[in-house]
Amino acid sequence: MEISSKEGETPIEMTTSEKVVELLNQAALIPTDEKLTVLKQVQELIINKDPSLLDNFLDEIIAFQTDKSIEVKKFVIGFIEEACKRDNELLLRLIANLNMLLKDDSVNVVKKAILTLTQLYKVTLQWLVRAKVVSDMQEACWDLVTQMKGDVLALLDSENDGVRTHAIKFTESLIIILSPRTSESDVPKRQEGDISLDKVPKDQSYIRYDTLCEEGKTALEKLLKFMVHPAISSINLTTALGSLATIARQRPMFMSEVVQAYETLHANLPPTLAKSQVSSVRKNLKLHLVAVLKHPCSLEFQGQISTLLLDLGMPQNEITRHTPAPREQRKRARYEQYTEGKKVKIEPALIEDDDDKEEPAPLSVPKPVAVPVAQSAIDLTAEFLHPLLSPENVANLVLISMVYLPDVMPASFQATYTPVESAGTDAQIKHLARLMATQMTSAGIGPGIEQCKAREDEVGKEELNEDNTAGKDILIKRKVPAVMMGQAISVVGGYSEKPPPSEAPSAVKRLPEPILPSAQTKITGPSGRKKVFRLSDVIQPLSDTQIETLTSKAVKRILHSEKAIAQSGMSHVRVKLLSRLVTQFEGMMKDDVLAFILDDIRTRSDLAFSLLYQEYNTYLSQLPSGLLDSYDHCLYTLLSGLQEKPEQRDGLFTKLVLEAPIITESALEVIRRYCEDESRVYLGMTTLKELIVKRPSRQFQYLHVLLDLSSHEKEKVRNTALAFLKRMYEKDQLRDYIEKFALNYMQLLVHPNPPSLLFGADKDTEVAAPWTEETVRQCLFLYLSLLPLNHRLVHELASVYTEAIADIKRSVLRAIEQPIRGMGMNSPELLLLVENCPKGAETLVTRCLHILTDKVPPSPELVERVRDLYHKRVPDVRFLIPVINGLEKNEVIQALPKLIKLNPIVVKEVFNRLLGTQHSEGSSSVSPLTPGDLLIALHNIDSTKCDMKSIIKATNFCFGEKNVYTSEVLAVVMQQLMEQNPLPMLLMRTVIQSLTMYPRLGGFVMSILSRLIVKQVWKYPKVWEGFVKCCQRTKPQSFSVLLQLPPAQLTSVFERCPEMRAPLLQHVHSFTPHQQAHIPASIMTVLEANKKTEPVEENEIKPVPPASVIVEPPIVAQKEPEIPIQQAPAIMKEEEELMEQEEADPVIQEEIVDTNSQEDSSKESEILEPHLQPAEEPMEESQPEPSDQQEPVINAEANTTGPEAGNGSEDVE
Amino acid sequence: MPSHPLRVAVVCSSNQNRSMEAHNILSKRGFDVRSFGTGSHVKLPGPAPDKPNVYDFKTTYEQMYNDLVRKDKELYTQNGILHMLDRNKRIKSKPERFQHCKDKFDLVITCEERVYDQVLEDLNSREQETLQPVHVINVDIQDNHEEATLGAFLICELCQCIQHTDDMENEIDELLQEFEEKSNRPFLHTVCFY
Repeated sequence: MEISSKEGETPIEMTTSEKVVELLNQAALIPTDEKLTVLKQVQELIINKDPSLLDNFLDEIIAFQTDKSIEVKKFVIGFIEEACKRDNELLLRLIANLNMLLKDDSVNVVKKAILTLTQLYKVTLQWLVRAKVVSDMQEACWDLVTQMKGDVLALLDSENDGVRTHAIKFTESLIIILSPRTSESDVPKRQEGDISLDKVPKDQSYIRYDTLCEEGKTALEKLLKFMVHPAISSINLTTALGSLATIARQRPMFMSEVVQAYETLHANLPPTLAKSQVSSVRKNLKLHLVAVLKHPCSLEFQGQISTLLLDLGMPQNEITRHTPAPREQRKRARYEQYTEGKKVKIEPALIEDDDDKEEPAPLSVPKPVAVPVAQSAIDLTAEFLHPLLSPENVANLVLISMVYLPDVMPASFQATYTPVESAGTDAQIKHLARLMATQMTSAGIGPGIEQCKAREDEVGKEELNEDNTAGKDILIKRKVPAVMMGQAISVVGGYSEKPPPSEAPSAVKRLPEPILPSAQTKITGPSGRKKVFRLSDVIQPLSDTQIETLTSKAVKRILHSEKAIAQSGMSHVRVKLLSRLVTQFEGMMKDDVLAFILDDIRTRSDLAFSLLYQEYNTYLSQLPSGLLDSYDHCLYTLLSGLQEKPEQRDGLFTKLVLEAPIITESALEVIRRYCEDESRVYLGMTTLKELIVKRPSRQFQYLHVLLDLSSHEKEKVRNTALAFLKRMYEKDQLRDYIEKFALNYMQLLVHPNPPSLLFGADKDTEVAAPWTEETVRQCLFLYLSLLPLNHRLVHELASVYTEAIADIKRSVLRAIEQPIRGMGMNSPELLLLVENCPKGAETLVTRCLHILTDKVPPSPELVERVRDLYHKRVPDVRFLIPVINGLEKNEVIQALPKLIKLNPIVVKEVFNRLLGTQHSEGSSSVSPLTPGDLLIALHNIDSTKCDMKSIIKATNFCFGEKNVYTSEVLAVVMQQLMEQNPLPMLLMRTVIQSLTMYPRLGGFVMSILSRLIVKQVWKYPKVWEGFVKCCQRTKPQSFSVLLQLPPAQLTSVFERCPEMRAPLLQHVHSFTPHQQAHIPASIMTVLEANKKTEPVEENEIKPVPPASVIVEPPIVAQKEPEIPIQQAPAIMKEEEELMEQEEADPVIQEEIVDTNSQEDSSKESEILEPHLQPAEEPMEESQPEPSDQQEPVINAEANTTGPEAGNGSEDVE
Repeated sequence: MPSHPLRVAVVCSSNQNRSMEAHNILSKRGFDVRSFGTGSHVKLPGPAPDKPNVYDFKTTYEQMYNDLVRKDKELYTQNGILHMLDRNKRIKSKPERFQHCKDKFDLVITCEERVYDQVLEDLNSREQETLQPVHVINVDIQDNHEEATLGAFLICELCQCIQHTDDMENEIDELLQEFEEKSNRPFLHTVCFY
């Protein structure tokens, strides 16, 4: 619309040229659809309206051939055609453009170009023929056209069906142009003026008649050959059939070949055709046969044609209707064999031809010159066969060939089969003979072909040159597969077995073949469809990605066909196939398959195993250079997949591990991870154990993993690993390794800092991290669990222990309790350790002893060892503590001074052991000392060996154990002590203490006091002092005792306690006179000191009747509460102080012990012995503190009591 | 896809029922379509099978309609002939004979084998000029309203598929094979040249 309106606007006076310019300008800018309209207008203007403009605008129009649009290109082609037809001279300029377009990428452009070339070939030839003199330019133009012609012929082998169709039509046209028109030719009105070979002058210098003639024949050959291709598409075949009909009608000289081709085709329909296509082709064949039959020159072939038509299902009457009348036919000149170089209408051979007319099927006489060879060959063979086709032979042939029948009736056969109506008649036999001859000839056998071969050889010797032979060979090669495939149901099957030379004279190359550019192309590509036979031509190499995608898709399909295949019971094949496939190719699919397996590993385990084995197999087959990578990846992925699966019911993991041909490093890593999973640790380690047991070649590698896990931070993992290791430790072949590992690990403890080995790889540790309880234990777990199994190992611990730093020692001592207890005190190795006690391991040994005797009394052997150690090597009394109950009584007493000087805690422990108060579980050992013995022994400690302070503390411990030191025990103790001579220094202290604890002992104490008087207690100043104090505290009960004192001593008492005098005197005054009479005067004198000085003489000795004293205690006991409670400690303190002053040399003693045990008061030793030394130290260090605090109190009290006493005595004095 | 729209001809015997039904549908779907008959006359069912109404190709659908209304409106209403003619006249004025048409097509679809043969005969009898190919496909359709409708849809589908091919000539073979399988009926197919 736009355009027309523009035209409307254009001034009328605008010239055509101006209009064209404007249109061209428009065309450059508008969309394709409109562009085409505009360009067509231009074409109309410059070709039809004003051709003078053609030349001017040619370039502008041609420029559109580079347009993107296919339609525009096609327009340009059309324009070229029109322009060249209008002005032939333009061919010179435009033919090259056409050539370019002929090679366009778009098939539609190519097709259009072929159509145009079909036209322009004629035009060019006509133009050149007309020209008087052919210029160089024209020659070049013709050369190009010839070349293009060759290119188009080559397109018969194009991959595109449509292009081939167009090429066929071009070939048809070419054949007609390059052959002479004769009087018999049907000439379409429209083509009456067209050039044909007969119009080409034979004297043309450049356009050679004979060359053209030859080219025409070659084209026909090509076409015929194209048609017999077994894989020809139905459309190509239809086209070719039509073309042949056209050729036969327009050039009757070729009718023989055409009919021949029809016959061959009919007998050998391409097997690739579908049923409906067969119908279409047959319909076409019928149509074209009728068309040929209608031609007057068909007379000669009427027999063949009508047989074919009958076979195609055409009724006889209809055939007859289409058949031209013979008379008429006879009048007309029959088809004449044209000979080169001559245009002959009537030939001498005419007579011969007349003979032929009598026999439509030309079989009688070979026509050596005129008849094409192929025809003759078939004829000859048919003739040869005819007499042989007796019913018997035919029946045999049928029976034999039954074997070769295909299982399924081919579509073509089904379509073509018509019941044989005239079976057994001569005509039918002839037809059969001919059919067979056709097959045999095309298969290259039979007498006909041999004769022709012989003949051709002769001719060939004269005519053929080397090139032609080469050409033939090429054709042969091409033909072989064609025949083989195409005639699959052919009765002749042995063609391929024939040696190549005998194939040479095949019908197709009966004529010398010129070398054409197309010949080469033909070699590489077959005519017709390629899909079937020349796969390699059709397919293109896929890109790597495509290959990968396709293969992986293919594998996936196999993968996912699981159920279907399982139903068919061929799962094992699928599994095998998959594993083979996947191992052979690299790439994605391996992962796909693995992922697929892991999706449902339980049901797909067979695939997993198969895959694994296949991988291994591949590895083995590549030895020694093969890599395990692929196998490793496979195993690793499977195991990791299993490991990551949340639940794991059946032992697939174990199975996979145990059945894998090789456990790779990474696989082992997965197993390790599996073992580290607390919920699966048992299964994992069982698997590992199995590996260790069943794969001896690498058992240490596996064992190592387990060993590593034995120090794992997770307790469950660790304990399980240890449990497994303990079991494995029993196996001889593993024992050494495990032991070595354990020892090596323990050996790490000698390092000043924990080696990084102890930390997981993920933990970023500083090298100088200090040892911690954790890390120390880590080194010991395995060792300690092995220890109860192999006691010998204990010595290693000792040696490591001596070298380790203090922190580690402490940790070690804490850690060893369980295993040492597990070993038991009867372990010879342990005893040996005790016996040897390496230097520096004393604390360790002591600790062991403690552990051993903690709950059980020490065995005699142990005691013996300890005793030995103590006496012979390390006289450290602390060794004795654990076995103290195993010692002899005297040994204990001997050790006592040293023991009580130890840390109070230790002392307490010792006492607990000795007193049997420690063991809650009734297994109380029989102590060598009774509690009484102990207390007595304490009293008897030589004050030169031990400071009084320690002894007092020790006794205090005893008094602390009220359950043990009952009043009875204490009474016995006091009794025994009192009987000793000399009296123990602490006697009175104990008496007072006992009295404090058990006031009802008052009476007993009185008797003690009385007896002390007998023993002249005043001779022991300390005891005397205590005596006085005791009396002071037990007044008035003690008055009777006091009265027993000799006067001098009583005086001494009063000197010490002046306040006693008055009550005592009062007491005496309360006596009955009779009683008073018993009191010696000397005593009274002392009593009444200042009033009347009574001489105190012998009377003092007179003892108080003991009976009265003994009777009294109950009374005293009742009065006892009157004594202020605070008084007791005060008094005790006082006494202690006093005693201390006298026995003030304890430090020296202790120092001796220290030097003996070689643990000077250095800081290290303090740390080394947590149990003993630290306890010991405070005794020295911390003791002053409490005593500092206490001392002032004591002193204060002493002072307070002191002055009182002083005052009292002063008062007395 | 071909750059130009497919030029389609649908051919039946009388250019009344099958070809017109397809013409109707194809034109609605935007095809460049024409329809033809190949018979020597246009025949419509009459009061009895042996008494058809016969017209020549010059008679318009309108005239036929009026003629039949006049003859037996009830009968021709009931058998749908009038309805059909009414539709036809809205598509074009009168039936066309294939043999008379010199226009060129890319695709000729025939509705029965006899028509296919006639089309082939006609095309082959023409003098070749441009050698442009024309594909002829036969789709057997029984000559009644229902089958005509079904057949028209099949034809339409076929045309759409062909129109959508990149290279019609190269792919039509396989396409037809597929269609044969799908529709379970054979198609005759050939190519002719103008």
